[in-house]
Amino acid sequence: MLQMKDVCKVFRTELVETHALNEFSLTIDEGEFVTITGPSGCGKTTFLNIAGLLETLSTGQYLLDDIDVSTLSDYQRAKLRNQKIGFIFQSFNLMPDLNLFDNIDVPLRYRGMKAAERKERIDEALESVGLFARKKHVPSQLSGGQQQRVAIARALVGNPLFLLADEPTGNLDSNTAHGVMDLLQKINDDGTTIIMVTHDQDLASQSKRNVHILDGRISSSDLTTVNENAEPRAVFA
Amino acid sequence: MEIGPILRAMIRNKLGAVLITLQIAFTMTVVINAIFIINERSNLMARPSGLDEANTFYLSSVGYGDEFNGVVTVRDDLERLRQTPGVVDATVTNAIPVSGSGSNTGVRLVDDEAAATSFAAYYRVDEHAIETMDLDLVAGRNFAAEDVQWRAGSEAITTRELIISQQLANNLFPDREPNGVLGETMFINGSEAHQIIGVVEQLQGPWPSNSSVELSMLQPNSSVGSSATYLIRTEPGQRDRLMAEVEEMLVASNSNRIIRDLMSLEQTREGSYRIDSAMSTILWAIIITLIFITSMGIVGMAVFGINRRRKQIGTRRALGATRLEILRHFMVENLMVSTIGVTLGAILTIAFSIVLTSSFNMPTMAWYYTPLGMIALILIGQVAVLGPSSGAARTEPAIATRSI
Repeated sequence: MLQMKDVCKVFRTELVETHALNEFSLTIDEGEFVTITGPSGCGKTTFLNIAGLLETLSTGQYLLDDIDVSTLSDYQRAKLRNQKIGFIFQSFNLMPDLNLFDNIDVPLRYRGMKAAERKERIDEALESVGLFARKKHVPSQLSGGQQQRVAIARALVGNPLFLLADEPTGNLDSNTAHGVMDLLQKINDDGTTIIMVTHDQDLASQSKRNVHILDGRISSSDLTTVNENAEPRAVFA
Repeated sequence: MEIGPILRAMIRNKLGAVLITLQIAFTMTVVINAIFIINERSNLMARPSGLDEANTFYLSSVGYGDEFNGVVTVRDDLERLRQTPGVVDATVTNAIPVSGSGSNTGVRLVDDEAAATSFAAYYRVDEHAIETMDLDLVAGRNFAAEDVQWRAGSEAITTRELIISQQLANNLFPDREPNGVLGETMFINGSEAHQIIGVVEQLQGPWPSNSSVELSMLQPNSSVGSSATYLIRTEPGQRDRLMAEVEEMLVASNSNRIIRDLMSLEQTREGSYRIDSAMSTILWAIIITLIFITSMGIVGMAVFGINRRRKQIGTRRALGATRLEILRHFMVENLMVSTIGVTLGAILTIAFSIVLTSSFNMPTMAWYYTPLGMIALILIGQVAVLGPSSGAARTEPAIATRSI
């Protein structure tokens, strides 16, 4: 589903050249729940940006659902993001001036879906996160945990190939964070692949596999003890 | 299209949009009415006087001393002028069209002071006036030399022939063709009965701002005293040269007079319409300033809105928006603000126009001003917001994951 081989990402300024990812290779299969951990500046967010087609890679190969994304135009990458990837951000990234219904509607509109189908999907997504009754509310009327559940509903509403979560519990208290993690676990149990960047080892231990990054390279890729029955995945490292 | 969500978001965050909407409405009201006023002024200024203005000039001769003989001088001067190479013709006159200075009189069809009276300007000229002024005689005949009365001082007028403008003929005899008014009698200067012998297509009076500027007539007589005004038409391109030459020639021909007020008809027109012209310039300055300020307001609101929502734009890009869709989002947002603004502006424009019409006796504004103004302001808004929107469209989706 997601294959990166020898991916490099170099940021250049006039004075400095930074290798954010260096010969980074990773394969993630359908149905996995993979956490990406590592210290600050190790390349977690760069990996997430490249995996989510938010940034281009400098060298190497990235196959997303067998499509070589390095050859795609900006337009094609936008369309691929819309159809294949669901994003969950640390700060939720909801539109403050839009109500919950319109927030979840955003990716579906970019897909050009008919209004009736959009409404059906949005209602279903809001039901799944327990916020259907508040669909006319704006994000500021919700708690942090509720806002993140809306963001999860928005990520799920388009039936993506996988979810990319960037520190999804980073702005939440521990109780709420556990609630969000439980929700993500349930979503994964229902068959959705999840790739989650986090610095929280406790949360990482709740996933099926943890990939640890150090200096732009994978330092370890281990199955976590929670998922004893899971099959090990091939890793390029 | 995201009209629904954009509108709902705008309602939740309405202060900026309301201010720009009001600015657009106010701008449209002022701009459309100002353009209408300018067009009205331009139409007035563009009205032909009936004369060959580009090739015509005039000057005044003022005699002094006991040796000065007005009648002889005028006849000699006219003879010299007509024989000057490059001069088409010359006449003596009591007034100059569009100059702002002249004479008029009440005109009636019956000798009854209670009867309806029109006021018409009159030019006291000789038989060369039609050729000098380059007037188009559409009916009747020109004055003959023997029709012209050369009067000394306050000698009574004995001539009874008149050539009138077609507009005056239409006013007096609404249902008649120009030929149909020939031979009719008009009473002017009280009870003086005069006969219409000719009709010219157009001849404006001396007062351009007067509503009866098109009502005028020629009388075949000239009061010759110490001063006289000569109107001279030249061949095309000869005017400026001849203005200097003629002045010099007349000065040299008689040492008992001075020449003054040498001026072309174009200069006269420019002077007479100077206030209208200045008003148009001021109104254009107001229009340009208002449009500039409004455009800057739209740009400012767009830039502020885009900067405020930079992370939202990145998020939209991350969720699958193409650059074109981001561009369209902000263009549609502006289109909606502009549409509300110009709709409100249209109501204000029409209301303001009604006030102008009723208060200042202005003509009614043509229907197309308002829709054209609406379209123009919407286009200006779209052009103004294009730059900021293009900048927004270049936002990288990776901004969505940054802590900004």
